[in-house]
Amino acid sequence: MSQTNWADSTALDRRGRSSPAAAVGLAQAANPLLADHADQRTASPAIHTVALSKRYGKTFAVNSLSMTVQRGEVFGFLGPNGAGKTTVVKLLLGLARPTGGEGLVLGAPLGDRETRRQIGYLPELFRFQPLLTAREVLRLHCRLLALPKAAWKQQERAALQTIGLLERGDDRVGTFSKGMQQRLGLGVALLGNPTLVVLDEPTSALDPVGRHDVREIIRGLRESGSTVFLNTHLLEEAAHVCDRVAVIDKGRAIAIGALDELLGHHSRVRLKVGALNENWCHGLGRFGRWHRENEWIVVEGIDRSRIADLVDELVALGGRVEAVIPEHQSLEARFLELLGER
Amino acid sequence: MNPTLTIAALTIQEAIRRRLLLAFISITVVIVGLSAWGFGRLSHTHSLTSGESNLAVPQALILFMFMFSFVLALSASAIASPSISSEIESGVLMTIVTRPIRRAEVLIGKWLGLAALLAAYAAGVCALEFAVVRWASGFLPPSPVLAGVCLFGEGVLLLTLSLFLSTRMPVIAAGVIAVAVFGAGWLAGVVGTLGATLNIAALRTIGQVGRLLLPTDGLWHAVIYYLQPPSLIAEHLTGGREGNAFYSQGAPSWPYLLWVACWFLIVLTAAVASFARREL
Repeated sequence: MSQTNWADSTALDRRGRSSPAAAVGLAQAANPLLADHADQRTASPAIHTVALSKRYGKTFAVNSLSMTVQRGEVFGFLGPNGAGKTTVVKLLLGLARPTGGEGLVLGAPLGDRETRRQIGYLPELFRFQPLLTAREVLRLHCRLLALPKAAWKQQERAALQTIGLLERGDDRVGTFSKGMQQRLGLGVALLGNPTLVVLDEPTSALDPVGRHDVREIIRGLRESGSTVFLNTHLLEEAAHVCDRVAVIDKGRAIAIGALDELLGHHSRVRLKVGALNENWCHGLGRFGRWHRENEWIVVEGIDRSRIADLVDELVALGGRVEAVIPEHQSLEARFLELLGER
Repeated sequence: MNPTLTIAALTIQEAIRRRLLLAFISITVVIVGLSAWGFGRLSHTHSLTSGESNLAVPQALILFMFMFSFVLALSASAIASPSISSEIESGVLMTIVTRPIRRAEVLIGKWLGLAALLAAYAAGVCALEFAVVRWASGFLPPSPVLAGVCLFGEGVLLLTLSLFLSTRMPVIAAGVIAVAVFGAGWLAGVVGTLGATLNIAALRTIGQVGRLLLPTDGLWHAVIYYLQPPSLIAEHLTGGREGNAFYSQGAPSWPYLLWVACWFLIVLTAAVASFARREL
């Protein structure tokens, strides 16, 4: 995509909101190398860890974490506060050294300097030089990324458009609200068309509009072929944008997989059964946890493949099954279930 | 621009916007203005003979420069102590060090930027004060440039030490330790001078060891030496000024200057290694 076309496509709406097209454009501007992350998908995974561990004294912040994040996917890294999510991010970026195991990011050892050129990072603790303007902060990072000087202006403009701060570009960061600083952090992370974007709690300071915008930006990055590693404890955020997720607790990964897989196997089913004999219900426990809601029986945690067996059993017992409504478990329910299983 | 220079330029830009330079310049101009009045009075007073006046003016200049060396040392500590630790605590460094640059480039860039500020301050203070003294009294130190260079060197040593401490310690701890070490170094120098005057070997050794452990006092005595006119040295040699902490017997030796350079390189290397190994 040419820069001109991209600039056209990134025009913000009148309220200064960002657009997913802008994120795609930012990812593709200035550097022809980018054009084709798709080609790189066949290369090494974006992230690959084997038994990665980090111990502080006797406490494991990360305990034998093995996971693979494929290129081009949006990978959600979920867990409660203190689960070790940010420590994992620090290990991946070389900000901390593992005490065990190993890992590769974009096919290179953790913390590899040249590989960092292809990584955009929004830290959980986002702070920028308060005496610089937003534009100067972006230019500083263009310099540190060694982007061609001719591309700086366009990169700055594209980033400001994407994050909806075009009109505040010449204001000092010290005058920004927390949410605006987080937006700026996102803009900084998107500079230079990163192959991998690591976002650590990217919406913690944002209002609902800002959260929506971030989701759009993440979708835009996926369209451009970038990999997004989204570290969050906001399950709704992950449910909206992630292709796959890992759930981490106490430094250990307790589930990794596609969202559908993670939720699909453990569904909930509502059944309306006529002529129900209360005694039959005692046998339902082997399908999942069940309870009554008026004339409905609700069985939770049931494997979807066993719903037909459940219906067969009820019919065999003489029940008249009037309605069967399979329901997906919410991510939150599944998350709590996973944590509860430990 | 390479990353080191980018960080150096950023450091200078931030210092200017913090109005740090403006504050230093304002205070310095006021002090130099007062000194102009004082030196004018000193050199034109009728209560001193011209010979006494010729001794008093350089001695007063040395005292003024001592104050500026103290200001320079405090400034070096104040600007270097927060430069790493506070940026780690605030998170500002997180997005910098995850760029494709070495941590050594970040640290040396900061050092360069801060050292440039110190150099500007030292040069400005020396030029202004020497010009004012010359105008008010007609006296110009025999080696003003060397005096300025040694004054700057004193600040740079403390800057480097503060930067090293800043890679591992919180802002206040790093600042307090650097200033305390500077004060102890100066005190060891005074004790050494007393030891030499009273011929007490133990005290003399304290002075010598102090100047090796932290060479700021050694450089301060070099500043004194380059400010002293021959008349002041002759006056001292003829007696009557024993134990004067504001007198220097000679120029720093080459081996000592070599040691100062080694000390600087050791501390700077330690700072680079410490920051490179620090987990953020």
